Amino acid sequence: MKLISLKICNFRCFYGKMPEILLSGEEQRNTTIIHGNNGSGKTTLLNAFTWVLYEKFTAAFASEEQLVNKRAIAEAKQGESVECWVEIVWEHDDKRYRAKRECRAYKGETIEQGESKLYMQIAGEDGRWNLPQQLPEDIIGRILPESLHQYFFFDGERIERIVRSDNKVEIAEATKTMLGMKVLNRSIEHLGNAKKTLEEELKSIGNTETRQILKQKEQKEKETEKLTNRQTEISQELSHQETLKKETSNRFRDVSGAKDLEERRKELETQKTTNIDRLKQSKEALQRAISTRGYAVFLPEVTAEFRAIVNDLKQRGELTGGISQEFVNELLNSKRCICGAELHEGNHFHENVSSWLDKASIAAVEETAIRTIAQVDEIDKQTPKLWEDIDKEQANINQFRQEISRVETQLDNISEELRKNPAEEIRNLQKRLDEIEGKIRELTLEEGENKQKIADLNIEIENLGKQIAKQELNEAKQAIAQRRIAVTQDAIERLTDFRYRLDKHFRVQLEKRVQEIFSSISFKNYLPKLTDKYELTLVENTAGREAPVAASTGENQILSLSFIGGIIDRVREWTKDELMVPDSSTFPIVMDSPFGSLDEIYRRQIANIIPKLANQLVVLVTKTQWRGEVEKEMTNRIGKEYVLTYYSSKPDCEEDIIELDGIPYSLVRQSPNEYEYTAITEVEYEF
Amino acid sequence: MSEEVSLSYVQEPLATAPPEVRQIIERVRQAEKDKLYMSKPKGINDDILAIIKECVK
Repeated sequence: MKLISLKICNFRCFYGKMPEILLSGEEQRNTTIIHGNNGSGKTTLLNAFTWVLYEKFTAAFASEEQLVNKRAIAEAKQGESVECWVEIVWEHDDKRYRAKRECRAYKGETIEQGESKLYMQIAGEDGRWNLPQQLPEDIIGRILPESLHQYFFFDGERIERIVRSDNKVEIAEATKTMLGMKVLNRSIEHLGNAKKTLEEELKSIGNTETRQILKQKEQKEKETEKLTNRQTEISQELSHQETLKKETSNRFRDVSGAKDLEERRKELETQKTTNIDRLKQSKEALQRAISTRGYAVFLPEVTAEFRAIVNDLKQRGELTGGISQEFVNELLNSKRCICGAELHEGNHFHENVSSWLDKASIAAVEETAIRTIAQVDEIDKQTPKLWEDIDKEQANINQFRQEISRVETQLDNISEELRKNPAEEIRNLQKRLDEIEGKIRELTLEEGENKQKIADLNIEIENLGKQIAKQELNEAKQAIAQRRIAVTQDAIERLTDFRYRLDKHFRVQLEKRVQEIFSSISFKNYLPKLTDKYELTLVENTAGREAPVAASTGENQILSLSFIGGIIDRVREWTKDELMVPDSSTFPIVMDSPFGSLDEIYRRQIANIIPKLANQLVVLVTKTQWRGEVEKEMTNRIGKEYVLTYYSSKPDCEEDIIELDGIPYSLVRQSPNEYEYTAITEVEYEF
Repeated sequence: MSEEVSLSYVQEPLATAPPEVRQIIERVRQAEKDKLYMSKPKGINDDILAIIKECVK
């Protein structure tokens, strides 16, 4: 934050709009001095800064409820309101900020002061002023948090309060914020919360059993493979048994007394095969008839309803043939009737012909109705034909079954006859044949059973495959959730470790710097110490032992200034090192009466060191605070200088002047009217 | 211990972090800084969760 200017209007002792106070921000001449006697408005100027930015006032600022200049109120008419405002312009991160706080006082029976309002505009590199997207208070809070403002805008006479014991916790917190420790603490805490949420999410994904399901699928696949192999074996075995059967039956033909029976058996078997084929065909025909034409059975009710609708429409004349809408439209488009009359929109003929549009039917609807009637007729005819076909096929099936049964009985008889044949050879052959047929039956059964098993297994494998795909998706989700948790944990651990190291580094360096500054100012052999909680104390070393010092007000003032200077100096350095310090690396110091109760030697030391530590310095001083050693130390750092002239309404007031660069400037003057007020004059220097 | 050495010692936990961890730390830090002025940063937990999910996909 680099302050650019301050404008005030009707704020406390400043009557009307004051000339703009430009604040020096040059590197070498970074100091702005504002001279003023007691009661001339120095504290008001300090509070102008804190009021605009934070709506806060320092302890020395009395009567906060009276912000509007008394003369301005006195001059206003009864019932009017008077406005006071303060505007500050500053630069931060290549942007220019203009903040203005306004407040009104209403002049009624009594003077009522309204709420203040803050307005802000921001200009980027193009120099155009725009309204901010966020609340002005939030923007200021980001640039310089409110909790820190008292270390940059302060009353020098009360500066020692920041190191008083009752403020230790507060200053420690502020220091941590300024050093970026608070950001680290919050980062670690909130990453921990995020980790908990991620762990909850992981739980909700549930257990994944992919491995188990994969194992099941593998087993099923193995079973299928085994069964498929067996099927091949069965098929080979069956073909082998069929060959054996053929050979055995051939041998019957060579044996006398069995030849005829065997021939007969062959014939019957051919018959049986033929009948089985026919039975199969009939069954298929029956299935086909039912599946392709079966629906017709359920339609008579619907077709009857359809006919009733059509008949009703016909009776009402809504489906009669005759003039179609298309024909009427054609006449209207051609603008001529069939009688030759011209059809122009609006004329009598046109109206007559148009009126037919509502009466005429639509050709397409009529055509569809006719076509549908024909289809419905067809459907109605289908039903008796279907029953006829079904009856026929069922009769066939019955007949073939009976035929097969008859043939089988005959075949059984032949087999039985051969089994009981007196010739041993024939009996043996039949026995052999029975065995082969038994084997074939067995194998065929097994084959069928296996076929079913394989079909079932394939369905199971397919289902398991689907489950695996789902589980794999969950596994992927689980893996990413686990990775997120691990990465977050790593971030937490690293940040915690970093915080520990940074904290140590910061404290050691800050303590060292505060000690350096303190010892360069103070002639006492006291040592500022920073505890691990960032609490500041002053100790003295007596016979090798450190003991706390009962510090005087002056010593505490030096300690406070050393501390503020030390922080500003360190933050500037640490920012260069890209450590996790706040974005602000530039801090202004606005000090009111900075050398209050200090001795000459201390005043000189502070006057010498403060402009070097702060990036920018605004000092509000009385003539006695300025003269001598302070002036000598600070002169070559001054970039801007102003004098506050107090106009006293006291008739015989003692006037006072300050001489700067050989020119006298009034500090106190007689007011030309009955009001007391302050004016601001810039000191014209040739720096 | 010289300042340079101690500085690299301080930065070591972050300097040696894998890229995605560094990215998360950097972005979380920025999110916290943006809401530092609030005593109770509103919605910060959601912001950080979103950062982690974006950095680890």
